[in-house]
Amino acid sequence: MARLSIEHLRKVYGEFTAVDDCSIDIADGEFLVLLGPSGCGKTTTLRMVAGFIQPTAGKITIGERDVTTLPPWKRNCGLVFQSYALFPHMTVAENVAFGLEMRKIAPADRAPRVTEALRLVRLTGLDERYPRQLSGGQQQRVALARALAIEPDVLLLDEPLSNLDAKLRQEVRVEIRDLQRKLGLTTIMVTHDQEEALTMADRLVVMEKGMVRQIGTQRELYEKPADRFVAGFIGRSAFLDGAMAEAGRFRSGGGLDISCKATASGPATLALRPERLAIGADAEACANRFPARVEHVSYLGALLDIDVRLTEQDRILLQVPNRPGAAEPKPGDMITIGWAEDAGLVYPREAKA
Amino acid sequence: MSIAPEPVAGARTNLAGMLVVPATIFVAIGLIGPVAILFRYSLNQFVPGQFMVDGLTIENYVKFFTDGFYLNVLWRTVRVAVICTIICLIMGFPLAYVLARTESRFKNLLIMLVVLPLFVGNAVRAAGWMTAFGSKGALNASLMGLGVIDQPLEIMFTETAVIIGIIAVNLPFMVLTLQSVIEGINRNVEEAAFSLGAGPAAMFRRVLWPLAMPGILAGTILTFILAMNAYATPVLLGGPKFQTMGPLVYGQFAQQNNWPFGGAISFILMTATLLLTIAANLIVQRRYR
Repeated sequence: MARLSIEHLRKVYGEFTAVDDCSIDIADGEFLVLLGPSGCGKTTTLRMVAGFIQPTAGKITIGERDVTTLPPWKRNCGLVFQSYALFPHMTVAENVAFGLEMRKIAPADRAPRVTEALRLVRLTGLDERYPRQLSGGQQQRVALARALAIEPDVLLLDEPLSNLDAKLRQEVRVEIRDLQRKLGLTTIMVTHDQEEALTMADRLVVMEKGMVRQIGTQRELYEKPADRFVAGFIGRSAFLDGAMAEAGRFRSGGGLDISCKATASGPATLALRPERLAIGADAEACANRFPARVEHVSYLGALLDIDVRLTEQDRILLQVPNRPGAAEPKPGDMITIGWAEDAGLVYPREAKA
Repeated sequence: MSIAPEPVAGARTNLAGMLVVPATIFVAIGLIGPVAILFRYSLNQFVPGQFMVDGLTIENYVKFFTDGFYLNVLWRTVRVAVICTIICLIMGFPLAYVLARTESRFKNLLIMLVVLPLFVGNAVRAAGWMTAFGSKGALNASLMGLGVIDQPLEIMFTETAVIIGIIAVNLPFMVLTLQSVIEGINRNVEEAAFSLGAGPAAMFRRVLWPLAMPGILAGTILTFILAMNAYATPVLLGGPKFQTMGPLVYGQFAQQNNWPFGGAISFILMTATLLLTIAANLIVQRRYR
């Protein structure tokens, strides 16, 4: 295992910049997740690390080795694909032994390592099966065992759970994470599934349109999103467009004066987490209190999602606990909502033309 | 209220059965019938002047296998077919791979270009080559005019000419067959091999080649059969001196009027093609299963 460093990585296809100035440092044994909507450049970045795409500019270092120009077969990266990409004409054991065979390891020395890799992914005894005789989850684990058997410097996972059904996904998620910790594998995983990213990662990289938007832990991304995109992408946010009237005071498009902890000026967007908002009596102590009309209520069991309208232009989503006995708001009800001064995060906004 | 299931599946099966009928009848009438008649003829006797005399004899087959001339024609045909098939495979695989993997928006155009040679009939193409490669043809005239050679190259009416001609006809079949199979191989499988430390040669040998084997088999069988039975190309490019089985059969029927012997040669050609194809199949399957 080794640390991995990506410096100013860039990939341009003609007019289209797939990845732009991407710099990420991954510590030895760290589990890093690249997260973003499709087309954000996360898969391109992973494939550049694996060596399938030659970067336009930038540098990739694994351990002390500059691998930027090395072909994939000299990089020693273990790769797990969304489609598993098992060799259909080889048995499970032959699949797992393939990397060892390519490393010219004698057949007698391969066998114990294959057995060990299959034991790690709990597939002992299926050595002689062919991939088509296995379930999706089992194939996934063979793919993992095959990548682990070569003792890679870096493990690369390309949406490894997307083809599994929901229940299995939960299981395999935990399994991969346990294995990664136990073996101390430096790992990069690409996913568009936020929940998957949040539960598995040590740190996350949020990407959009080829750019790294923010790198941080789950808590950092959620509590202090670097920009409006991250605020909307990690968890949910309600956005109010408006402008900073003065330091500490935001004026919404609908004319609400909102006190906040921001010193910016000019057009801005205020982002609010739905669960940081209070209603009714709970709102009394809040610095910001406004009357609101309930537009829509979704019953989610433990929680209620409530869409409210503050003014003609200002709408907000609230999430409140579903307390037994408390009166459930109905569409059309007038309620009071409120939030603390530090609940709203302000991001500068390009003024609309 | 009836709970009997509607016979949807049964109805469909009947329809499918009906749809198979035309092709079946066509094959039965167009192929099996004539072949059976031909086989019957091949057991008849040929008496010069009397055309064909009903009989039950293997003398036509004995004649073929005891005469060095005919055995030589058979051997030459097999040799040409094998060489053509191997060269088609070697040249066709890279082309098929590029066609299968390209993401160019001109992909369909490229495939059309591969098929393009088939738009020109065999005879027309071969006639073109006769003018191009003849001893006074465009190629020799140019080379001699440039002083590269002082004697015309003997291309026409040689084994080389026939082999080149047959390859040109068969290559598109090989390429299209391989391309469709390679397209079905997940690109990620190749990438997985690379990431596991396999260089391009090892990846090809251990992953791409075995996975493309169904296409390789289909393509080689197709081109081998076409090459064994080629007619126009060997006649026009090989000339009377370079006899292969196809023209030999035709000659017996059309020129010698010896239908029994023609029938026997037809059967020998068909059997040889079949046996060699089956043998190749068995060898490959033992190697790759």
